[in-house]
Amino acid sequence: MIRFEKRESTSTSLKILIPTVSIILGILIGAVAILLKGINPIKVYQALLIGAYSSKYTFSETLVAATPLILISAGLIVVFKMNFWNIGAYGQYIMGAIFSSYFAIFWSPHIPKLIMLTVMVIAGMVGGALWAIIPALLKAYWEVNEVISTLLLNYIALFILKFLMYGTWRDPLSHGFPLSKPFPDNAQLPRIIPHTRVNLGLIFGIIAVVVVWYLLKKTKFGYEIRVIGENPNAARYAGMNVAKNIIIAMIISGALAGLAGMVQVSGIIHLLQIKINPDYGYTAIIVAWLAYLDPIVASFFAVFLGGLASGAYQIQITMQVPFGIVGVIESAILFVLIGSEIFMRYRLVFDVGKKKHSGQEETL
Amino acid sequence: MSGAHHIVLIALFSAAVQSGTTLLYPTIGEIFAERAGILNLGVEGMMIMGAFFGFVVTYITKNPYIGFLAGVLAGGISALIHAFVSITLRGNQVVSGLALTIFGLGFTNFYGQKWINLRSPVTVSQMSVPLLSKIPYIGPIFFKQDALVYTSYIVAIVMWFILYKTKVGVHLRATGQNARAADAMGVNVYATRYWWTFFGGLLAGAGGAYLTIAYAPFWLDGMTAGRGWIAIALVIFAMWDPLNAMVGAYLFGGIDALQLQLQAVGVTIPSSLLNMLPYLLTLIVIIIATLIVRVKHISAPKELGIPYNREEK
Repeated sequence: MIRFEKRESTSTSLKILIPTVSIILGILIGAVAILLKGINPIKVYQALLIGAYSSKYTFSETLVAATPLILISAGLIVVFKMNFWNIGAYGQYIMGAIFSSYFAIFWSPHIPKLIMLTVMVIAGMVGGALWAIIPALLKAYWEVNEVISTLLLNYIALFILKFLMYGTWRDPLSHGFPLSKPFPDNAQLPRIIPHTRVNLGLIFGIIAVVVVWYLLKKTKFGYEIRVIGENPNAARYAGMNVAKNIIIAMIISGALAGLAGMVQVSGIIHLLQIKINPDYGYTAIIVAWLAYLDPIVASFFAVFLGGLASGAYQIQITMQVPFGIVGVIESAILFVLIGSEIFMRYRLVFDVGKKKHSGQEETL
Repeated sequence: MSGAHHIVLIALFSAAVQSGTTLLYPTIGEIFAERAGILNLGVEGMMIMGAFFGFVVTYITKNPYIGFLAGVLAGGISALIHAFVSITLRGNQVVSGLALTIFGLGFTNFYGQKWINLRSPVTVSQMSVPLLSKIPYIGPIFFKQDALVYTSYIVAIVMWFILYKTKVGVHLRATGQNARAADAMGVNVYATRYWWTFFGGLLAGAGGAYLTIAYAPFWLDGMTAGRGWIAIALVIFAMWDPLNAMVGAYLFGGIDALQLQLQAVGVTIPSSLLNMLPYLLTLIVIIIATLIVRVKHISAPKELGIPYNREEK
């Protein structure tokens, strides 16, 4: 008979082993999916690797895709620590892009660059934070389920973006395409590696990771959200203000997602359009979980999943492999990861010809 | 009121029932999964699987009913992944459900490319119910529909009966409220949760299949467009009751049908704002429903989302 037995402590090696195995199995399941479509998976993965990591330029594109993932996942880790399910980074990212674009589109191109970019950074963070405060308030005061409210707000944000892009924000010179006028130079984030699209946003991401790490490890706020996440009732008994902490955590999470949206429009595409890749908001959830909510570890997984995304864009064009393969691989990774957490808390015991034990004190 | 207005209104409400049917099936399914204590946020993913397989099998067999069954099964099989991860492996149900949604959307994008924009060669035919279809207003709205709509009425009523009037329903509710007590009553908690999670997937698949077989008989990438999330919201609106789910589903079907109608007649409101309406109203309704649920002291099943471990005392 096989059964699970409780572990006294979680081993660190499992924290490395399980995500690694999850990724390997995810890639294998992806290979089966590709094979079923009648395509050679080895060729696809080869092309994907080349498309993601082979040259300085392709690796820079991986970093470009990793940047929003680093920013968003750093913020998500703060709220996930307290078991608050912000699924709304998608919408917060869009609002950040919209708020910051307003200044790029409607303010003078002659404003000094430093002032313009500072305003846009703040606007992006405010836009994301405002969109995040709505579900935080609803949850904190009325106990409205945040999974549902954040998700619905994603769709609402997307339609606001469409409304603007088919309306007054559309460039009259765009021949009817839903594009804003191109951002002037003073509204473009400087690029930090020549001949690539890697921009200041990556530095923002690194700063965000350090700040979040410090917040979680070294401050009273970090301590409180951990306690709330583990046992909200105990937190209340201890006199912690749960509502206040939810709101602060969501402001941080939303602001970082909004900043990611700002970085995308100001640092990468240099205009506002409907396709600004808000799906980073969902991928960042996977990043945060793979890292077991550690912001520093998360930045490495962001580079991995960023590579998967940028490699997949390449093979979509060169090999006609639909981008959906990323979803198949990512979901397989998540299923294995979530399903394996039981091994962190329990060990497998094979009772062969032994009488049944009472459990806990047993060691192999 | 002139005759023409009358016909327009009947057509609008009739479309509301059809749009509502795509929501009614998944909402009832999720009600039963949640009643058993399993939160499955993968409804969107299961629906798109049902929509895709429903469409493809209908297209190939030219029989919408076989297609519908294929869609139903696709939803159910997808749900089994979530059941295994959250029941047997006791994994986090929120993340597992999200993974299921990512899976469904990715899978159908990956395999669906060559079906995009194809139209279904057949669709389900309308059949009037004798006598009932003659009732003024009600008849033409509810009883001049297709067989899959009638099936959804039967499912809602039968499931209400099972939930409140049978031993199966007692056991199901006990499992979601207090799994240990249910276990002591002799209920097999794992089997109960597996079955109702599977059932939830079957109905999510049904909602998706109805979308591509009857309501919008073609295939577009990601065409469920958030209906799965609206269905999850409707579970709270319905207060975990299958008959209330009908009210919620048709209300939102109505808003959906209305915004399409307004776009069709070319009102000056931008289509993006009209498209936003169902999501915005769901958000408002879910806030109101949450407040009502609190005042009335109705709560979600107490052990919703909490894994059960028989050996742990």
